[in-house]
This record gives sequence, C-alpha cells and structure tokens, in this order.
Amino acid sequence: MASADKPINTDVPEKDVFALHFLQSLSNLRRQNTFNSPEKTNDRVKKIKKAAYVSMARAAGGTNRLWSRALLRRAAKENNKVVRLPRRKKRVTCLRRRRSNRRDPVEEEEAERLRNLVPGGGGMETSKLMEETAHYIKCLSMQVKVMQCLVDGLAPK
Amino acid sequence: MDPPLVNDSSFSPANPSSYTLSEIWPFPVNDAVRSGLRLAVNSTPSDKDVSTAAAAAAAAEESTVTDLTAGWGGRKARALNSEENESSKMVSLSSSGNEVKDSGERKRKLCGSESRNGDGSMKPEGETSSGGGSKATEQKNKPEPPKDYIHVRARRGQATDRHSLAERARREKISEKMTALQDIIPGCNKIIGKALVLDEIINYIQSLQRQVEFLSMKLEVVNSGPSTGPTIGVFPTGDLGTLPIDLHRNIYEQQEANEPRGSHPEWLHMQVDGSFNRTT
Repeated sequence: MASADKPINTDVPEKDVFALHFLQSLSNLRRQNTFNSPEKTNDRVKKIKKAAYVSMARAAGGTNRLWSRALLRRAAKENNKVVRLPRRKKRVTCLRRRRSNRRDPVEEEEAERLRNLVPGGGGMETSKLMEETAHYIKCLSMQVKVMQCLVDGLAPK
Repeated sequence: MDPPLVNDSSFSPANPSSYTLSEIWPFPVNDAVRSGLRLAVNSTPSDKDVSTAAAAAAAAEESTVTDLTAGWGGRKARALNSEENESSKMVSLSSSGNEVKDSGERKRKLCGSESRNGDGSMKPEGETSSGGGSKATEQKNKPEPPKDYIHVRARRGQATDRHSLAERARREKISEKMTALQDIIPGCNKIIGKALVLDEIINYIQSLQRQVEFLSMKLEVVNSGPSTGPTIGVFPTGDLGTLPIDLHRNIYEQQEANEPRGSHPEWLHMQVDGSFNRTT
C-alpha cells in the first residue's frame, strides 16, 4: 500500500541513516548515564536495544512500512510520550482473518508465530505479512552488520 | 424473425449427422458433396440473383461470415438429402435448389437486423466446437486476475465462483511472496514445504534478534565502559586517535558512497574531526 504510494528504496536499507541515528542515540544514552545515577546493566542493554530498533525503523523509511510504524509506536508507548504518527491513508481493516477449514493448520500456526515475531504483524493479511517480513529481515541483517562493525570498532584493544 | 431461427435449429443438427455419415460411408457422400459444389457454382440465375441481392444487403464482414456458414450448412444438408435419395439425382438437384433459395431468403432476413446477424455469426462457431459455450462463459469471468486461467485444473473440477477465485489468487500471491522471502534467507532455497520454510524464516528472524540483543550487550559494555573514567562524554585521550578512525573505517568501508560529512552527529565530529585530514 505504502510502497505503491511513494517509491521507497526497499531493496537497500539505509546503512548510513541507521548508523547515524544509532550513534546519536548511543551518545544520548551515554550522556544520560553519566549525568544520572548509574543504572543496572540490564536496563542499559534494553535501552541500547531499543535505540537500535528505533533507529532501524527510522532508517527503514519512518512510518511508511507497517513494521517500522509498529516499532516506533511501541517505542513511543514505552516512553510514555504521546507521539502522533502521521495517519496512514488506508487503515488495515481486517484485524484477524477468519480461518476456513481448507487451509493447512500447520501453515496457519507458523504464520501466526511469524505474526507475533514481526512487529505490527497482528493486523496483516498473510501476503502483506510476507512482504513486511522480507523487508524486516533485510533491515535486521543490515542492523546486525552495522552493530557488529560498531562493536569491532569500539572494542578496547 | 422466427423463420430464420427455425432454419438455424433445423440446420444445426444436420451438421453433425452429415459429418458422421460422411465418415461412415465415404463414397456416396463424396459424390453428394461434389454435386452440392457443382450446384453452388452453376446454380440457376434466379438463385444467383437472390444471393447477390443478399450480398448487396450485407455490407458488413459478419454478414459474409454468415453467408459462408449458411452456404456450408445448406451444402451439407443437400448432401444429406442427396444421399438419402440416391436413385434420382434430379430430385436432389431440385430439392437442393429450393434449399439454396431458402438459404438466400434466410440470409436476407439475417442481414436485415444486425443484432440478429451477430447472433447468427456466433452460433455456428459455438456449435462446431463442442466446448465453445463453456469458453464463452469463462471469457466473461476473465477481467479478474488472468493468472487463474493458466491453471488447467481451475477450469475443470474447481469451482469458479468468485470466492474460490479470490482464494486462489490470494494463495498465489502468498506463495509468490514466500519465494521472494526464500531468496532473501540464505540456504532456504532447498527446503520444500511451506511449513518448513516458514519455520526456517522464523528461526532466522529469531537468530537475528538474538544477535541484536547480544550486540547491544557488547555495545553497552563498550559504551558505558569508558564513561566510568573521569572524562565525561569523551573517550579517554589515549583512544582519541585510534578508536574513531577504526570505527569510521569499519562502518564506511562497506558502502559505496560516503555520506556528506556535515550530517554527522556532534560527538562524532568532536572525536573524528582531527582524524579526517588523515583519512580523507
């Protein structure tokens, strides 16, 4: 839907944008850590993880993709901020597809697991879910690569 | 309007019967066909006049098509007649002449109304090919996805109501997306079966997510490690020269086009600025 409206470069996720956002948020976290009282490491890990996901969502075209939208929304909810995302033109109307007897139950179960795994997958049609999953996987692998590079570069020798 | 319809109905059953007869009994049928052809070629002038008048009335192409078909039907019927009473050819000739006249009248009547004409042109085709009727009904359904008609099975036993058509289209879409997904995930091409492929996809995503978690743990150590030192927000002086260069190089080695420098975050500038002269 969104890809039909605007041409987003879905093929190559933006490494630069992700790295930029992520480094920014890392520096923010650093500043917070130093100014505030020291937190537990678990919380810090969670924050970094969240920052990574949010910057990935930003890099993946902001609110154009369903999964990035869901990620940003979740992050905003966790922050207890009221962030108004720009409304999509067409809302997803069918929240859960009715299941007919003809479909393979194993397949449906797997699709359900996938739905839980991909952010915002609960309200997607199955074909849309596949599309979003493909994009999500691309972005995730990009994220992993960039983070690996960061770790390698920042690791104390 | 009614007589041509009656004629149609009377001619159309005659076609298959004549075919079968010709197959069963070749010699007399050949004779009859020849006689019919001769009749068509050198028919009486009155008949010719009728036929030419009909042709003049028929200006459109469809009318010619109907003429041809009507002529064939007449010939076949004549053949049948001549075969039935082989004893006297003159009788058959006279009867065939009458029939030609009939067909000419029918032609004229057909040409009179164009809508009738179209129907008349469509009808013999449908009758000659046994599956023509079903084809026409399928062509009505065609404006929906054309992929459904690539399937051979979709025509035969499967239901063609719109629900099952939509379901089939949906399944095709899903499988198409699934193959695209399979191409993305390494080593997923060999797996057969949707459930297994989905399982593999889920495993891959989970592994990626776990990797992200692990990396963020590492980054946490790296990010918060130096901050315990006295310097705030800046890496220790010893690392100032080496670290950011490595980081920078590692990130941007892989990409083709470097980002413009102006858009880097401030803290990166703070540390990297000194090394820019060296790297670039």
